[in-house]
Amino acid sequence: MLEISNLHVAVNGTPILKGIDLTVRAGEVHAVMGPNGSGKSTLAHVIAGREGYEVTAGEIRYLDRNLLELAPEERARAGIFLAFQYPVEIPGVANIQLLKSALNQVRRARGEAELDAMDFLDYVQTRLALVGMKEELLYRSINEGFSGGEKKRNEILQMAVLEPRLAILDETDSGLDIDALKAVADGVNALRSHERAMVLVTHYQRLLNYIRPDRVHVLAAGRMVKSGGPELASELEERGYGWLDTTAEVGEARA
Amino acid sequence: MRIAQEDRAAYVAAGRSAMEAGPSWLKLDRHEALENFFRAGFPAREAEAWKYTSLAALERQQLHSPAPGVEFLPDGLPAGHLLGYGNGYALSRSSALPESMLGRLDAALARTTLPAAARFGTLAGRESMLVALNTALWREGLVLHLPAQWRVDEPIFVVRTIDEDGAMVHERSLIVLEPGAEATVVELCNGRGDYWRNPVTEIFVGAQARLLYVRLVEDGVAATHTGALFARQAQDSRLDVLSLALGGQLTRQDIALDLAGAGASATLHGCFLAGGRAHVDHHTRIEHTAAHTQSREIFRGIAAGRGCGVFDGLIVVRPGAQKADAQQSSRNLLLSPHAEIDAKPQLEIYADDVKCGHGATVGRLDESQVFYLRSRGIGDAQARALLTHAFALEACAAVAPGTLRDWLTQRLDGALDRLVEGGRK
Amino acid sequence: MGKSENVGIGELMQEEYRWGFVTDIEQERVPKGLSEDVVRLISAKKGEPEWLLEWRLAAYRHWRTLSEPHWAKVHHPPIDYQDIHYYAAPKKKAGPSKLADVDPEILATYEKLGIPLKEQEMLAGVAVDAVFDSVSVATTYKEKLASLGIIFCAFSEAVREHPELVRQYLGSVVPHTDNFFASLNAAVFSDGTFVYVPKGVRCPMELSTYFRINANDTGQFERTLIIADEGSRVSYLEGCSAPRRDENQLHAAVVELVALQDAVIKYSTVQNWYPGDKEGRGGIYNFVTKRGDCRGARSRISWTQVETGSAITWKYPSCILRGDDAVGEFYSVAVTRGRQQADTGTKMIHIGKNTRSTVVSKGISAGEGSNAYRGLVKVLAGADNARNYTQCDSLLMGSRCAAHTFPYLEVKNDSAQVEHEATTSKIGDDQLFYLQSRGLSAEDAVNMIVNGFCKEVFKELPMEFAVEAQKLLAVSLEGAVG
Repeated sequence: MLEISNLHVAVNGTPILKGIDLTVRAGEVHAVMGPNGSGKSTLAHVIAGREGYEVTAGEIRYLDRNLLELAPEERARAGIFLAFQYPVEIPGVANIQLLKSALNQVRRARGEAELDAMDFLDYVQTRLALVGMKEELLYRSINEGFSGGEKKRNEILQMAVLEPRLAILDETDSGLDIDALKAVADGVNALRSHERAMVLVTHYQRLLNYIRPDRVHVLAAGRMVKSGGPELASELEERGYGWLDTTAEVGEARA
Repeated sequence: MRIAQEDRAAYVAAGRSAMEAGPSWLKLDRHEALENFFRAGFPAREAEAWKYTSLAALERQQLHSPAPGVEFLPDGLPAGHLLGYGNGYALSRSSALPESMLGRLDAALARTTLPAAARFGTLAGRESMLVALNTALWREGLVLHLPAQWRVDEPIFVVRTIDEDGAMVHERSLIVLEPGAEATVVELCNGRGDYWRNPVTEIFVGAQARLLYVRLVEDGVAATHTGALFARQAQDSRLDVLSLALGGQLTRQDIALDLAGAGASATLHGCFLAGGRAHVDHHTRIEHTAAHTQSREIFRGIAAGRGCGVFDGLIVVRPGAQKADAQQSSRNLLLSPHAEIDAKPQLEIYADDVKCGHGATVGRLDESQVFYLRSRGIGDAQARALLTHAFALEACAAVAPGTLRDWLTQRLDGALDRLVEGGRK
Repeated sequence: MGKSENVGIGELMQEEYRWGFVTDIEQERVPKGLSEDVVRLISAKKGEPEWLLEWRLAAYRHWRTLSEPHWAKVHHPPIDYQDIHYYAAPKKKAGPSKLADVDPEILATYEKLGIPLKEQEMLAGVAVDAVFDSVSVATTYKEKLASLGIIFCAFSEAVREHPELVRQYLGSVVPHTDNFFASLNAAVFSDGTFVYVPKGVRCPMELSTYFRINANDTGQFERTLIIADEGSRVSYLEGCSAPRRDENQLHAAVVELVALQDAVIKYSTVQNWYPGDKEGRGGIYNFVTKRGDCRGARSRISWTQVETGSAITWKYPSCILRGDDAVGEFYSVAVTRGRQQADTGTKMIHIGKNTRSTVVSKGISAGEGSNAYRGLVKVLAGADNARNYTQCDSLLMGSRCAAHTFPYLEVKNDSAQVEHEATTSKIGDDQLFYLQSRGLSAEDAVNMIVNGFCKEVFKELPMEFAVEAQKLLAVSLEGAVG
């Protein structure tokens, strides 16, 4: 579904990613781990199409299309979803307004009929239950005055509503207490399916106690330095990132 | 309005004596400035910048140039370099710095080889007639010129006393910090009588240089003070200005900062107390000319009795000054039924990638805070005094904690006590 | 409103200014220029009583002593006041009493603007007074309103039918000496709308005037006077448009509102005069004086405006809070793009005790537009416990636009609480990306953010106008971010 090969990315001329290879197939859950500043969030943003990141070499293919050619909204309509580390606040725009516009855009792109107001509300109700969110939050401005946990849960709600094919969760666990973390993980697990791929970007292993990944990759200094099964995450938890040779050859890491 | 022929004599006499010494270019400048002042006269209420402040009483007053007087040194002045001026004349000097770095401006301008001389007058401009009159009539003056990387650790105190009725004193200062230099300057204005003080200060802060400049106004209760301060900052420089207006009958401060170098940052803090029938007016202008510049402006005003406080603060972001970040806050307290506050915070933005905001409030003390303190056993008057002091002291945050801040806090506290006392009677 | 609701935003975006057509009708005009004779001629054409002519002449004589104000943050070439027609009217009768008498061309014009004037097709619950160039051409639902004692008619008709009311209130809020443009209006005003709501009556429908400038080289000087007697309520809407022309046209209107004890007036404007083309050619100079007088205790006046049109907008709808416990409100969205300039805001004058005012202003500058908020909050010595809250936000799109904020706070009473807050910021890249990453196009994302930014103001508008305003905004900002 997603094939990243030899991806080099620079920001303001400074290389951040220095040759990333990653292949994710439908139904798989991958975890990308690494210390702060390793380039994890950069990878997530490049996949979603954020401006300001310069791809200097390599490519990203998604469902056999060149992803880098697409505008962010085209990527979203093609089924890519990024759960933000820091969800943005947009005053005056109700959550439900965004959900409805976004869903209908995505549905249109999928060749499905748009939902009218009533059908949409029914649909959103089922999704709310899935992530355990209060209905009241639908009518508040996007993320404005939300607690850290509410913001993250709101991201998962959007994901549940939009039903993406590839979801990238950027540090979704950061800043969450254990209850909120469980709630978010439950939401994510409920959305796992054989048609949907997920990439969890995270610094800590604790999210992976609740969402078991198929593959774990370690990103350090802009390179994938190690890949392995879920046991790699526990190893990182015990030993930290220090034991990894961050200068290791790129070739060692294979998805 | 133009100055009538018969009213010009005092200015002409002052001008003659001021022009006796000095290089010929300066004489020409002075002559022209005086002519301009005669043509245009004092600023009138019709001008937007003088909407809330009238100089009519000053205009009618019989003024003269005084003889050298004395200097009043306040209690507990912290250790530092000290220059004393009496009625505009340099009287004393106690500093290890050479005269070429800290000394008289007229001497510095006479030696035209001094690079600081070339900067003289370039910020003050020609628009303001009060500045023009200063240009024509200042004498002796003050220069601080620090070479690159030169750091002066102890504060430089400039005490300016005027003690003659009807005296007009036009003080002129030029402060130049070459790249990387650092200094703290505290100008203290005090005195006795119904004099007029009209100082002009120009400040140049070089690349990566840092300056803390404090103007502490403790003028006599009958005095008029019209001060103008202009500063220009080069890249990555830092300027902190604190204006404490605690005395005088009519005080007007015009403060203009130009963040001309990329990465320059400035804070402009002020606190004014207007009790009795005092009128205190701050007009500030912060211009973001270069990109990535930052400014923070905080003013606290308190009016009591029949006092009137004015805050007019303009922030301008010029085209191209992208990523400018400017915040301004003007909060004001009215302590008695006949006091008045006029606040006019303004933003003028000509760039799009900016973050600017301002807030202004006028009102009484927060009764819920008063109640909270009282419910903890503090008396009503004490609770109010406590809150009023806390309110005013926010302005002093511009100065790093230490002896200087303690001393300034003391001055402010003393003035506030007198204001609150006076308001109660 | 009406038919335009069926037009999608996407379709609207393709157009620049779709109200720019000219109606071809026979008209009569007085020759260009202004003099006492012209003032007399206008008054005579309308068959006015002597006192009104005298009032006009006094205004004219005063106007001649004034000079055009230049303190606002707007720039325009000098206006030649002798090169303007001060009166233009569709030929036939000055004030038709029945819709059947109205020129079918004019009815068609309003039809095209989405304002049907035939009663069977009219919007339910909205009574309309249509002002075409200098005169009122039709007023709907008059009989129904009259049964409640509500007077809703053309100004000239009010002068004939209710002279005592007009004489009592005309100029009592905006005197004929008020300012340059108000004096000019007092001298030459041609028509406008008059509303009187009697004691205790709640007006059951929205009253609305739709202003249309059609003739070229003609100034429009209408005058609106609304009186809400004790305990009454009325909501009034105003819309406007003009043909696309290369020369600038002057619109100098005056609106006076009087709210007596316990009365409530809500006045909403969607201003969409022709803004000129991209290079700044043509467009309306909208120099308007609007003021409300909360004369009685507990009265309330609320101004809501959405300003998207005009080359230059210069207006400060204000409230004089004279009665104790009176409330004044001002909600504004002003959009400038292309070369448009707006200098707008409000004045809240607190005179009575416990008076309260709220100001919410949202300025949007795009392209080379310049947008200034100018506001005065004045608390006089006797206004115990006055409260004001002002919030004033500017949104910037494009590196050549400008946004300014000039609030004046003048407080002479220590029990007052006056608070002003303002922010200026660029439309956020991170907000745009967030919405785009959810599948919205850049254009939709901008619209969503801008509508969110303006929401506090839109919610003050009556339903039909809120929809219209959002569409106008979408059209105005088309291509502003690219």
